[in-house]
Amino acid sequence: MARFDIARFGAEIFRASPRQADLMIVSGTVTKKMAPILVTLYEQMPSPKWVIAMGNCAISGGPFVFKGQYNLVEGVDLLVPVDVYVPGCPPRPEGLLEGLMKLEEKITGTRRFPGPESKW
Amino acid sequence: MILAAKTIEEFRSEFKSVDISEVPYDKQGYHLAIEAQTGNLLNIVEFLDRREFYIVDLFCVDYQDYLELVYFFNTHRELCRVKVTLKLDPEKPVAPTISHIYTIARWYEREAHEFFGIYFEGHPGLTYLFLHSGIDHYPLRRKHVPVPDNDRQLLDSFKPQEEEDCFFVNLGPQHPSTHGVLRVVLKMDGEYIVSAEPVLGYLHRMHEKMAESKSYLQFLPNPARMDYPGALLFNLAHVETVEKLCGIAVPERAKYIRTITCELNRIASHLLWLGAFPADLGGLTPFMYAFDDRENILDILEGVTGSRLTYCYFRFGGLYNDIDEESFVSATKRFIERMRERLVMYDKLITGNVIFINRIKNVGIMEQAKVRKYGSSGPFIRSTGIPFDMRKVDPYEAYGSIDFEIPTGHTGDNMDRYLVRMKEMEISLNIIEEAMKKLPSGPFQTEKVPKKLKPPKGDIYHAIESTRGETGVYIVSDESDTPYRMRWRVPSYSNLMTFPYLAQGLLIADAIATLGSYDIVVPEIDR
Amino acid sequence: MCDTIINIVNIVGKEVVRTVVGLIGVFIVVIGNAIMLTWAERKVAGHMQRRIGPKEVGPFGLIQSFADSVKLLGKELLTPANVERPLYFLAPTLIFVPVLVTFVVIPFDGFLQVKDINVGILVILAFSSLTVLSILIAGWGSNNKYSLIGAVRSVAQNIAYEIPLLLSLLPIIFMANSFSLRDVVEAQKGLWFVFYQPVAFLIFFVASVAETNRTPFDLPEAESELVAGFHTEYSGMRFSLFFLAEYTNMFIVSAIAVTFFLGGYQGPILPGVVWFFMKTYVLVFVLLWFRWTFPRVRFDQLLNFSWKILIPVSFLNLLVTGGILKL
Repeated sequence: MARFDIARFGAEIFRASPRQADLMIVSGTVTKKMAPILVTLYEQMPSPKWVIAMGNCAISGGPFVFKGQYNLVEGVDLLVPVDVYVPGCPPRPEGLLEGLMKLEEKITGTRRFPGPESKW
Repeated sequence: MILAAKTIEEFRSEFKSVDISEVPYDKQGYHLAIEAQTGNLLNIVEFLDRREFYIVDLFCVDYQDYLELVYFFNTHRELCRVKVTLKLDPEKPVAPTISHIYTIARWYEREAHEFFGIYFEGHPGLTYLFLHSGIDHYPLRRKHVPVPDNDRQLLDSFKPQEEEDCFFVNLGPQHPSTHGVLRVVLKMDGEYIVSAEPVLGYLHRMHEKMAESKSYLQFLPNPARMDYPGALLFNLAHVETVEKLCGIAVPERAKYIRTITCELNRIASHLLWLGAFPADLGGLTPFMYAFDDRENILDILEGVTGSRLTYCYFRFGGLYNDIDEESFVSATKRFIERMRERLVMYDKLITGNVIFINRIKNVGIMEQAKVRKYGSSGPFIRSTGIPFDMRKVDPYEAYGSIDFEIPTGHTGDNMDRYLVRMKEMEISLNIIEEAMKKLPSGPFQTEKVPKKLKPPKGDIYHAIESTRGETGVYIVSDESDTPYRMRWRVPSYSNLMTFPYLAQGLLIADAIATLGSYDIVVPEIDR
Repeated sequence: MCDTIINIVNIVGKEVVRTVVGLIGVFIVVIGNAIMLTWAERKVAGHMQRRIGPKEVGPFGLIQSFADSVKLLGKELLTPANVERPLYFLAPTLIFVPVLVTFVVIPFDGFLQVKDINVGILVILAFSSLTVLSILIAGWGSNNKYSLIGAVRSVAQNIAYEIPLLLSLLPIIFMANSFSLRDVVEAQKGLWFVFYQPVAFLIFFVASVAETNRTPFDLPEAESELVAGFHTEYSGMRFSLFFLAEYTNMFIVSAIAVTFFLGGYQGPILPGVVWFFMKTYVLVFVLLWFRWTFPRVRFDQLLNFSWKILIPVSFLNLLVTGGILKL
């Protein structure tokens, strides 16, 4: 059986066109060559629209930030507004699911499942 | 070795004045080194071409006093690596192009041009391949060398010109079936493709530049991020090269465990491809089935490596930790049993489907003779009938003591590529099983590996067989704890560059099927 | 209250009221059906792929499709800058015309039929050709290369498959001696036509899969090749009209197949309308099943299959049927 199954929440329909998308998940490093395309894609989406920065690379450039780097956008939030950050390199599937839950919480104001318990 | 001796003899009789030397293979990973001059480079390359050498890699190293172009050649018949070097003046680097002899050089030379500023005389079009037009210097040069202004306009990414009776389609970088951010510019005549041109660099993450500022140990996590579906194999390529460079011995047990985990990773990677390939053809269901099995492997590997996808498990001189009897060995045994049944099921589900067969049979045929010109490797060339596999040709780790066959195809079409990969999964299962039987006990890590590796001066090339083909690492060491230059020879790159050739005259649907059959990984191509 | 209604009916005329009420009913059926079918598709897909499909929103995920529709209603109606504006706006509206008209003549029951026209099947076939027109307009007006390729594919495909579709229905019309759909159903009182005309049924079903642009013939919107095909540039409600039309078309072709070959609303014990829907949804399920089982055919294979196999075979079938009926 599928283990993580995002389809449970009705998020499995695959739409290849940004015109029919609600959520952009930036799941990798954003390079300077990709940046204008990413912005175009975001602008092609009809509002209301959301962005998840998935992984350290998309959040801040992650491990690829070093002195003398010439091709990296250090965080997708420099280009488009980001709603939820999912850390990890790469994030686990549970992390992405939690990110989606978080986004849902942000939109609706209520949380579907009890969140992970905080022990600290 | 016989071939190397023969080549030396023939070379000396043909080129009296050129310096050719034999190199200790165990130390440096290649057999012959030739120092060419601008005048005789083409003759030397033609000499190698006549002897059916294939081009492994072409790149540049900046030694400050001079730039060195490095050409690597090898044959499919026998391991005989030849390194041809060409020294260039850093102020005005100009070299003759070899792209009319070896087609892949067209792209390698463009790469050398944009990263080092080398001009190739006679090259059909030196435009940017990886970089964006905003860059103002040659990034991999040691000193800051600005790009000339008129060059920058010339270098700007491929800008298609509209022509009569045809139009351009940009396949990617955000197209659903380019498996990442690959962009292919298609010139179309209706539904037929007139020509195709890949544009890379949308995920260029500067791994090679980064290596120059990080120590060997610090660079460990990087290779896994180049090839995320087959992370362990890239990890292995890096670790083995450094071990070879520093002369670190690896215990037997570690060798076997490396073999087992690498083969598991190979199956996982092939399963990912098995899911994506039918999806490119419009059949979405096999994806979920393949991922189901892949999840099992990820579980097993996660248990031992500690991460789910981008493993960093191998260390210089051994492993990060030992496998244990209960969770790893028995789980792997269970998986092998299950996977054997599943392979039969995949055969019934996918291989037998009439639409599937009609779509991929006799489509995207790669001729065996052409493969050499592109330096392709892996399942891609095995499908054309060349039984070339680094595991067999140059056995590393425990592959030398394990008996396995190399599946080959006949025609080199998409169907053959599919069948070869399916067979490879089965063979990987056999390898794992045999390696588990022979698994010796003992330590899994050599003691006394220094924290700060300072390898002796020199260079080394070492290649392994990753899931997509020959993955090689070339390291130049200057006795410091960071590599002076690290070059990655990645299989997807040279495989992908056959696409412009294969796509010519195909329908767009077939071209996408062909692109899917390559099993390309974009971060690996872009590096 | 009752009296006023009867009075109004008498004044306006029975037929008009029947048509108006019928059209409202059709609207409800169209939208309800499309929403249920999207849910069904996702559930079927889920179970075929060892998943369970939507389950969190409502019992068995039943509310999921409603939620999605509401979301689509709330989306911004984005008009790209370089589109051919009149055509771009017209296409999603136009695609709905054949969908509504076709429903008018389908007999759901002995009584439940908006209007029984004596050339019913001709109305259906004539109007269903409008679908391809609106796809062409959408593709052309979007000013997008993927859309255009999708639209051109769609035209070639629909022309190729309309012919076998028509030719496979003709033998039935011979046998029933009528163009009226109710007469065709009534003629199947004894034995369903599928038993007399198995070849025609197969041809009709294959052709109708192609007409509805479903896998393995979903070339106009082939995701892996053309991003989203002819509706690449459409968003929000405009896109959902295409979506709605696609699912309604699935229902319509299945309903016609049931009417012509599987005895329509006829069946024992249960009321006719139940039988009709049951049979139709079984065929719809087969369509869903196709989608999640087969890969896509190539364009030349698709056309070859129609012109070289389906059309000759259906001609032959027509000839044989005509000959036998004459004897």
